[in-house]
Amino acid sequence: MRDRFLISALSFLFVLIIIGLFYNQILMYGYYAKLSRNNSIRVIPIEGPRGNIFDRTGQPLVTSRLSFDAAIIYQEIGDRKKLMSLLSDQLGLSGAQIMDAFEKASGRSYEPVTIAEDIPKEKALALEEAGFDVSGIVIETRSRRNYLHKHFGSHIFGYLSEVTDNELETLKDYGYRMKDLIGRAGLEKYYESALRGVDGGTQIEVDSRGHQTRVLGLKEPASGQDLQLTIDFSMQIACDKLLGDRKGAIVVMDPRNGDILALASHPTFDPNVFVERGTSEERMKLLNDKTGRPMSNKAISGLYPPGSVFKIVTSSAALEQNKITRYTRFFCPGFYKLGHSQFNCWKDGGHGSQNVVEGIKNSCNVFFYNTGRALGVDRLESYTKLFGYGKPTGIDLTDEVGGIAPGREWKLFHKRGIWYEGETLNYAIGQGYLSVTPIQVLEMAAVMANNGNLVRPRLVRRVGSSDLPNQKPKSIGLKDETVQVVRMGLFEAVNNESGTAKRAKLEGATVAGKTGTAQNPQGRTHAWFCGFAPYNDPKVCLVVFLEHGGKGGLEPAEIARGIFAEAKQRGYL
Amino acid sequence: MIIDKRKYKDFDAILLTLAFVIFLIGLLAIHSATQAKNLTLHEGYAFRQLTWLGIGILFLAVTIRVSYHKILDIAYVLYIINILLLVLVLIMGHIRLGAQRWFSIGGFAFQPSEFMKISFILALSSYVGQKKGAMESLESLIIPFILFAVPFVLVLLQPDLGTALLLVPVFFAILLVGGAKPKYLIWAILLGLACMPVFWHFLRDYQKQRLLVFINPNVDPLGAGYTIIQSKIAVGSGGLIGKGWLNGTQNQLNFIPERHTDFIFSVIGEEWGFLGALALILLYLFIVHRAFNIGNLTSDRYGKCIATGIAVLLSLQVIINIGMTIGLMPVVGIPLPLVSYGGSSLLATLVAVGLLLNVGMRRSTF
Repeated sequence: MRDRFLISALSFLFVLIIIGLFYNQILMYGYYAKLSRNNSIRVIPIEGPRGNIFDRTGQPLVTSRLSFDAAIIYQEIGDRKKLMSLLSDQLGLSGAQIMDAFEKASGRSYEPVTIAEDIPKEKALALEEAGFDVSGIVIETRSRRNYLHKHFGSHIFGYLSEVTDNELETLKDYGYRMKDLIGRAGLEKYYESALRGVDGGTQIEVDSRGHQTRVLGLKEPASGQDLQLTIDFSMQIACDKLLGDRKGAIVVMDPRNGDILALASHPTFDPNVFVERGTSEERMKLLNDKTGRPMSNKAISGLYPPGSVFKIVTSSAALEQNKITRYTRFFCPGFYKLGHSQFNCWKDGGHGSQNVVEGIKNSCNVFFYNTGRALGVDRLESYTKLFGYGKPTGIDLTDEVGGIAPGREWKLFHKRGIWYEGETLNYAIGQGYLSVTPIQVLEMAAVMANNGNLVRPRLVRRVGSSDLPNQKPKSIGLKDETVQVVRMGLFEAVNNESGTAKRAKLEGATVAGKTGTAQNPQGRTHAWFCGFAPYNDPKVCLVVFLEHGGKGGLEPAEIARGIFAEAKQRGYL
Repeated sequence: MIIDKRKYKDFDAILLTLAFVIFLIGLLAIHSATQAKNLTLHEGYAFRQLTWLGIGILFLAVTIRVSYHKILDIAYVLYIINILLLVLVLIMGHIRLGAQRWFSIGGFAFQPSEFMKISFILALSSYVGQKKGAMESLESLIIPFILFAVPFVLVLLQPDLGTALLLVPVFFAILLVGGAKPKYLIWAILLGLACMPVFWHFLRDYQKQRLLVFINPNVDPLGAGYTIIQSKIAVGSGGLIGKGWLNGTQNQLNFIPERHTDFIFSVIGEEWGFLGALALILLYLFIVHRAFNIGNLTSDRYGKCIATGIAVLLSLQVIINIGMTIGLMPVVGIPLPLVSYGGSSLLATLVAVGLLLNVGMRRSTF
């Protein structure tokens, strides 16, 4: 009885479907057959432009401009000869190129196939006009991404490329279509959903010659949201210029709120290269360059040993755990013996008697071998993590890596071995398994600048019309005295005549910082500098990293001085 | 395990034959829909679908041989495993951008929501069957509602609106034949309708868009609207006898996206015409008829619930899928059972057919 009800309800629906089919296939047959014969419905997409990107002062950095593409619709080509001569006259295409495009277009049904991209406006108009006589050619307008400063800041913006067939499977529900561009790296990727415009389009009915007869539907396109960055682009240009041809990275941040003022990674690339569709030689060269890796953002995805800049962590941990006080002294004869092994200081004759402030100032390895041994690997590991190593900082970019903050468990799991004490000594001076990104080193410097507070770095302060909330720095629980002692070491390193970072010293601003020279089994040492200014009320902190850059006290410290000078001139200090 | 010989007497060979005939029709349509892609035989969708059939026959055989009472014993376990898979798919889906409905295992896509439909029917039948005459109270509907709500919400979050909505009528049908008071069911439906505005709020933008497109295809001429219009042209231009196999111009000229999966019916409508489409619908009607028949002949409450649930599930999938290709239903991404290309859907449908056969051949035991 009760399934009777179900059966009747379902039967009713089945009958409805059959009536629907009858209506479409029998009663409306003539109408649909005609539409099908003429294939007369065409869809013309209208792109919703991507949002623009501005720097903190409102200067435009990435915009979209209008561009014209010429495309052919194979099935509509009437006079082949006339069309070919038109294309070669107006666009300078060779016969072979045109035949190639015809070949490609013949596989698509009534779908425009692009034959020339980004052609000058006058030519586009001329071709459009000619299109009334010669059928088969259409002009498509698109908004084209324009990176105004080419190589400058490209790792911040990232780049775009076409969606692949595989991605389309999942993305089509979100309105992506074939040939659509999608953010591949940088802000273009991280803020893809905000930046992306919503495409619109018109659906038109055309006659047998391909001319529009009436509009069936119209959907207005909408543009994407603009981004306002925390970047100051004149600082960015200064950093890019200071880095020059060297491989490496510079990041400059306001330690009080995490606002990134500049972020440079070299070698760099011109994102405009990726805007064109298809594949170009230049693009393949960039993507396949395995030695310079221009597409990788070294500031957030490059992993390196930190070397001596890491002594900031070792000294903080030892002070915090009362393994040393500010008065504790160790004697440096130039080496340290552990069992049968000898661990050297970078200075052959040794530094003599050192306290922690001098240890930092002179970057004395022996002082930190002693300190590290007193601390033990477990405490060292937990402070390393406390300073943010071993996990991404959470900057608003994709592809950030976390690096390695090693420890006993880590070694057991990854190297299948127990931890040796000699490894603790290496750990204490930032060598060994420790593997960090430049932006993590910057975060460590910011903790010192910020009196023990960690802040999440960010690149975007405003999306569309809404400001992103200001961030509150979080304390990592260091005692005030600990911070003050380490800071004093950083001050001395720059401002004392014998400090390792004295080249970073700048007239008219008090700079504090630490250099690092990291052993590198692959060749020349990596060079680091991290620091902040002004000493009493830090407003700018930075990291300079040079891959195979030699000694941290030389070029990186000098580059840092240049950046602080620029920051002073721009009113940040 | 040996099946009692007497049970073969009640084996519904006609039902099984119908299923294979429909599958063959689907295979021809898939080949026609995808041959333009110029794939070799082994890459071809039709070939891959045949591979799925091989696996499906194994599933079918197992489903038939094990008594459905044994299957019901583990119904809750299957249900919970399936729920966990749905949760897992959501977590992985969050990592990747966009909707994630399936797992990819060595090139095979596996879509848990397809199997959810079956394990939902089994779990609900297990509960309702054991309650006997006690389904009349309002309290007895609480657990069934939970059994329904959890997968409903999870599938909706994927987001897979079509599959989620499909669970609703199946839920009501099983409760109805299980003895719940129609009064409560009507109230539940009214309450559900009253919640629609709230529900609307939770839909993704593109889902709202699809429902709006259903009302007026011209609001989204490039997306869903385009597909509906092109699909209607394909089906409509098929006329009485169709353009012939491999000869559908709309189909062969690439006008309809996704035509080997959710829109496979427009290929059939275009190439085989009204007569061919009607024949296919009649084949489905036969299957549904036999499913209800099995439910009717069995005296076992569990079996009746399973058969009814599957009958309603299959018929609604057919009605909604065909309805959307001719603009009678919104586009919600529901495959045409046994016909659309896709492994998970085929396997799940074959398991459903196996369960029907299972209930049918064991009806005299109880």
